[in-house]
Amino acid sequence: MIWAVLIATGTVVATGIYLALSRDLFRCLIGLALLGNGINLVLFSSGRLNTQVPPIIKQAETTLHNAANALPQALVLTAIVISFALLCFSLVLAVRIIQLSGNDDILAIRQAEPPATDSIKPALEEEP
Amino acid sequence: MTSRAHIAEVFMRGLYPVLIIASFWMLLRGHNAPGGGFIAGLMAVAASSAYALIFNSSKASKKMPLLPARLSVSGVLVALASGLPAVFQGLPYLSHPWWTLSLGGFKLSLSTVMLFDLGVYLAVWGAIGGICLHLIETIEENL
Amino acid sequence: MGRLSNNCKEARAPLANVFISCVPSLLFLGLILSLYHVPLPWTFVLPWVPSLNVDLDVYIDGLSAQFLLLITGIGSLVFFYARGYLAGHPKAKRLFILLVLFLFAMIGAVVSDNLLVLFVFWELTSVLSFLLVGFNHEDVGSRKSAQQAILVTGVGGLFLLAGFILLGEIAGTYSIQAFLHSPSVLINDSRLGVVLVLIFVGAFTKSAQFPFHFWLPNAMAAPTPVSAYLHSATMVKLGIYLLARLDTAFSDIIFWEYALVGTGTLTAVFAAVQTVYERDLKRILAWSTIATLGTLVMLVGLPGHGAALATVALFFAHALYKAPLFFVAGNLDHGAGTREIDKLTGMRHYMPWTATAALVAALSMAGLPLTFGFVAKDAISFAKAQAEVLHLVSYATVFVNVVSVAVAAIAAIHIFWGHDTIPRKSHPHEAPASMIIPPLMLVLCGIVFGLAPTLIDPLLGAAAKAMSPEFDATTVNMAYDLAPVIEVTLGTIALGLLVYLRWDWLHERLSRITFLEKVGPEGWYLAIMDTLPVIAARLTRIVQHGILPRYLMTMLVTVAVLLLVLLTAADPPWLWPPSTNLGVPVASASLLIIVGGLAACFVRDHLVLLLVGGLVGFGSAVLFMFTGAPDLALTQFFVETVFVVVVATVLVKLRRLKIRDRQVPLEPLIRPLDLFVAMAFSLIVVVLTLLVSALPFDAQLTDFYATRSLAEAHGRNVVNLILVDFRALDTLGEISVLFFSLIAVLPLLKRIGDKRP
Repeated sequence: MIWAVLIATGTVVATGIYLALSRDLFRCLIGLALLGNGINLVLFSSGRLNTQVPPIIKQAETTLHNAANALPQALVLTAIVISFALLCFSLVLAVRIIQLSGNDDILAIRQAEPPATDSIKPALEEEP
Repeated sequence: MTSRAHIAEVFMRGLYPVLIIASFWMLLRGHNAPGGGFIAGLMAVAASSAYALIFNSSKASKKMPLLPARLSVSGVLVALASGLPAVFQGLPYLSHPWWTLSLGGFKLSLSTVMLFDLGVYLAVWGAIGGICLHLIETIEENL
Repeated sequence: MGRLSNNCKEARAPLANVFISCVPSLLFLGLILSLYHVPLPWTFVLPWVPSLNVDLDVYIDGLSAQFLLLITGIGSLVFFYARGYLAGHPKAKRLFILLVLFLFAMIGAVVSDNLLVLFVFWELTSVLSFLLVGFNHEDVGSRKSAQQAILVTGVGGLFLLAGFILLGEIAGTYSIQAFLHSPSVLINDSRLGVVLVLIFVGAFTKSAQFPFHFWLPNAMAAPTPVSAYLHSATMVKLGIYLLARLDTAFSDIIFWEYALVGTGTLTAVFAAVQTVYERDLKRILAWSTIATLGTLVMLVGLPGHGAALATVALFFAHALYKAPLFFVAGNLDHGAGTREIDKLTGMRHYMPWTATAALVAALSMAGLPLTFGFVAKDAISFAKAQAEVLHLVSYATVFVNVVSVAVAAIAAIHIFWGHDTIPRKSHPHEAPASMIIPPLMLVLCGIVFGLAPTLIDPLLGAAAKAMSPEFDATTVNMAYDLAPVIEVTLGTIALGLLVYLRWDWLHERLSRITFLEKVGPEGWYLAIMDTLPVIAARLTRIVQHGILPRYLMTMLVTVAVLLLVLLTAADPPWLWPPSTNLGVPVASASLLIIVGGLAACFVRDHLVLLLVGGLVGFGSAVLFMFTGAPDLALTQFFVETVFVVVVATVLVKLRRLKIRDRQVPLEPLIRPLDLFVAMAFSLIVVVLTLLVSALPFDAQLTDFYATRSLAEAHGRNVVNLILVDFRALDTLGEISVLFFSLIAVLPLLKRIGDKRP
């Protein structure tokens, strides 16, 4: 059964990377979201998937028996929230970049690496 | 204003308090059942976002108990403060002591852990809700 | 008011300088008194970095004591001289502070018994030398010279550090004394050659040995007191100090002897030839200093007690005659406004005291009897006789001596005697007393010790003993017998005077031979310095290409390769994880995720892409639901909902803006290279997860939470308890991060609202 989850994980990670490598700013953003999602799945499934019982102690008992692993769940829960905050921040950045450059082509964003102005530094590679 | 939008507004006006109360319930039950500060906070964010979609985001921010940034910082402060009673009892910071109050036959167990969870709830609602609402507001007004 | 306070400041500054300039004198007096009362060696330990076995072990024996005397003694006079030399200079205070720092760095270097501590002080002297050479930093020449000095000595320092670490690791100790007492571990180690070469590079760069000599003449851009102090008397001798310090351990090794004797002799001869190229008195003195340094290196390399004694004698003699000559050069600069020997003749009429100092110093430099220079030369010839050196080395020494006689004659006769026939704008004048007393005192010492060399027998004996432990220091008797060496001395002096008389002719002949400048070591240095920025710029452009996807690609490929390397290196058990049946819901959730993921690759429209991406999120929520993680399912569900709603709102608005012509796609939908990298990377991640899942599960932490939750945290939802109780501090950090992300977003949004660029 693990293989189904693993294929899903692999697909999400691959899609996330593929989109993040895109020239389209928005596709990058979605790629980031999917990559985070995929890594969460990796983290979650490395805590072993072998039960459907949630890690909640039953009323009659004092300890947890035969339930899912709580530790990766706690990790992933915070990871989901944090990566959501990160995504929101990236989204605002993306909007700002689009507003500034009027373009959502990543190769058109050159503020951080402006063209060479002196003779020693070779010119930037021409945009493809 | 179309009647359809009007219906949505009336519907939302009724739904919003229900959602917030539900999120609060989610917060309280988190100690023993699925739920807790993060989930409840995100639920409240969802409620605020829905409100912002039907009305607008500034109205949604006003519907929050405090302005988003203040809500968020008060959440962090509440969580910070929740660790202090333990220090006064000589325990490590953020270990949560429990007290049992007897109110005439009805026993109520209280702990700073609830305060901490409340802090998480407020911080998540304020921060994530603030980002979303402010973003929608800025986009709507300027683009 | 402002002027008044300004005046006060000016009045205060020299007072501070006076105070600072007393520091070396006090140290010198304290040292002399201690030497009389407390027998050497002195040792004490100050713990510094116990975890690295680095302590401030102080060990002072005769060699260190001799250096300390020179550092503080010459230092006293240099500080005194500098007060006159820089009187009224606006940056005088800075020079004094740097000089004091240098003084302490130098003291630290010669008293430290720990190799690493020695290295730290060694590098400190390099840095201070850089600051002092570049003292006139408005002058581009000064800056270049300072840069050259620090690059050459700094790179040498790195070699030295490598050598020290290797030596320390092999010998098992960083204590010099401990190592010197049992050097056999290193002597018998196959890496001995490497250690020696590394230490040689460090010592030779510091002491300006060929081919690293070229920085020293250029360092003459420094103010004269600095040249006299750092680049003649103390810092450049640090390399020789190190070699002398290690000599007892290595003196039996043929390579040690040959390398030192060879390099020293080559340096001495090369520098002697180069002397003739120069017309600037200070640079002439610099080359002659290099020649002396070469001779010292050669003497360290020579076996035998005589060589040890000759080394320390020459140390002493050189300090006593070269420093005054530098002072004389400074006085000429000060009084006549030039150091060019073509523009200086008959100066004794204007500067009688300086002329006296120059003459006596020159006599000592030429090695005339009754001076301490003669004592040193006597010791050198005795050492060579004892060590049975090659004839070539003997001839080289004679040659170097001849040139130094000529240099002495230039400094004393050419400049000060004869008639001043050169037309000048203003009359040269004598330097103030503060600039005359230091050279006179030094030359006086030279004469006193020359007349009665037995006065410093104990000191030289103790210093020589440090280099040659079996040496019986009590037998030292520097008293000399004139008869056997008088012929050689006279011959050398006659030849030297001949060179002096033909100096201009030689200079003209030699100046035609310019190839040395082009192909010599300085040429290599300049070529490297010219090429480095170009290579750096090229490299920067290759690495910093400004193309975001390519940066990401670089990172991904690097991480992937690292993971692969680690994976193959670790070679984990390649097992398939145990099969568990999770049922149809998990399978369908996985299918949902796979469909969403695949579709996201091939969707162009942004809104559709968002929805497809949302599909993955909701699929994950369902997956969490049916694998026992309802908390995760809820979190993921709410996050996905809010994300889709907010981003959709933004997208709809952005679409209205028509930021880009949607008819022209940015890129093809299928980019094979990117696809390959993405798939390869995800394959590695999946394999890793598989391998992890196949390993036996360590339930320690899981059990900890399972058993303690109700008992200690009084709750039943373990996930929530981990978040708010067991790991509450982490969660506190996390909500603070959330708050700060809001704080980071707000100003950005404000800028978007203001439409500011």
